Amino acid sequence: MNLPGTGKIRCLLGMLGTDVHSKGIRTLAQLLRDRGVEVIYLGEHNTAAGMVNALLAEDADVVGLSFSTATYVHYTRDLLDKMKAAGVDDVPVMLGGLIHRDDEPELRAIGVKGIFGPGSTTDQIVDFLQKVTGKRLHAAREPG
Amino acid sequence: MRRVSPADCAQIVAAVQRGDVRQTARLISRIEDDDESATPVLQSLYRVGGRTPVIGITGPPGAGKSTLVDQLAGSYRLRALSVAVLAVDPASPFSGGAILGDRVRMARHNTDPGVFIRSMSARGALGGLARAAGDALTVLDAMGKDVILVETVGVGQSEIDIMRHATSVLIVQTPAGGDAVQAVKAGILEIGDVFVVNKADTPGADRSVAALREAVEFRFDPHNAAAWHPPVLKTQATDSSGVSDLVEALERHAAHLAAHPAALRQRLLMRARVRVTELVSEALRRRYLKSDSLDAAYAALLDDLVDRRTDPHEAARRLLLSSE
Repeated sequence: MNLPGTGKIRCLLGMLGTDVHSKGIRTLAQLLRDRGVEVIYLGEHNTAAGMVNALLAEDADVVGLSFSTATYVHYTRDLLDKMKAAGVDDVPVMLGGLIHRDDEPELRAIGVKGIFGPGSTTDQIVDFLQKVTGKRLHAAREPG
Repeated sequence: MRRVSPADCAQIVAAVQRGDVRQTARLISRIEDDDESATPVLQSLYRVGGRTPVIGITGPPGAGKSTLVDQLAGSYRLRALSVAVLAVDPASPFSGGAILGDRVRMARHNTDPGVFIRSMSARGALGGLARAAGDALTVLDAMGKDVILVETVGVGQSEIDIMRHATSVLIVQTPAGGDAVQAVKAGILEIGDVFVVNKADTPGADRSVAALREAVEFRFDPHNAAAWHPPVLKTQATDSSGVSDLVEALERHAAHLAAHPAALRQRLLMRARVRVTELVSEALRRRYLKSDSLDAAYAALLDDLVDRRTDPHEAARRLLLSSE
């Protein structure tokens, strides 16, 4: 039996469009697993519609996208629009990868809740996940 | 603890039965979180369920199970059959976290409403996996899909236990899986109804098929007319060769079970046994192992045990008597 807020954090990670630079998101998947997150890993080349359907079926608490190409505003807006249409726009979306500072206000305005570019730490991402999901991770801090 | 009113329960039951993806997904999350408020819903669903065939797929990591599941789902879709998939991946024993990556191989079904895919972590820790998977299968069964595929890595007892929930068990091996001795050692020959050597394009595939066939034949009793003869097939999941033969073999197994109601009954009775035993053992674990507040009699018994005034066998006997 679990008390409220003690369930696992389920995080959907994936990439949209033709971006193939998956090293970052694969690294993040492993770092989050080691902090106790259940990562549902979708890999590259997803469509927004496919990702929303996966989100629905997996009942994930949060979505993470990674971009290393300049098309991220377009793809992120597409995903958020389709999430809204499916009634799952309450699920927070975070972005990572090469996100230009100048684009951050626009991304936040369309509903992106977290942006973690180069230099972000695992602690920052874990803190964000705990904050937006209201769930606690028992392995939240690095062991030792 | 959240309570579920009978009206809420009926509403969730109805939503699952009409295939509502979001409600179904949330119910499975509650099963995974061991949320007891899901119990009345599961009780209702179980009583009206049991019609969907469940195909269990297991084998070592990297054997191509997810790719094969993707191909099987594709095959069933071509026959206009709807599919539910439960993909179980191991959890980290250190953090409890997991990377559930089976969907990567099944991405083409993400936009098909005829396929419902759910990933589940084995969650490590103290068992409970087969219980959670059993309950999740009750839910998928109620969705009214035509076939359920459940995939687990064939390592560890709890992953193997999940196969007890299946009506047909498919064992996936690769040519790298070693010789017949390995197949016998693995202890999976007993549970397989259909065997597949995947990655048929790699060297040694025919030898693996021959070795596996020999091991399977050794267990087969030719004098028992009602016995199912497990086929050993070759597939190459990346280009779907052998997959239609595999679907056919699974259909022949289903037909065999239908033609031998006693064997099917036996299998369902074993499944019932596994499910109820899972619940009982989980209740015992919760009460005697995980609980932070021990009742006085149990605490005294533990003291006696530590001080050697009694022994574990006697203590267990007394606990079982007192829990009746």
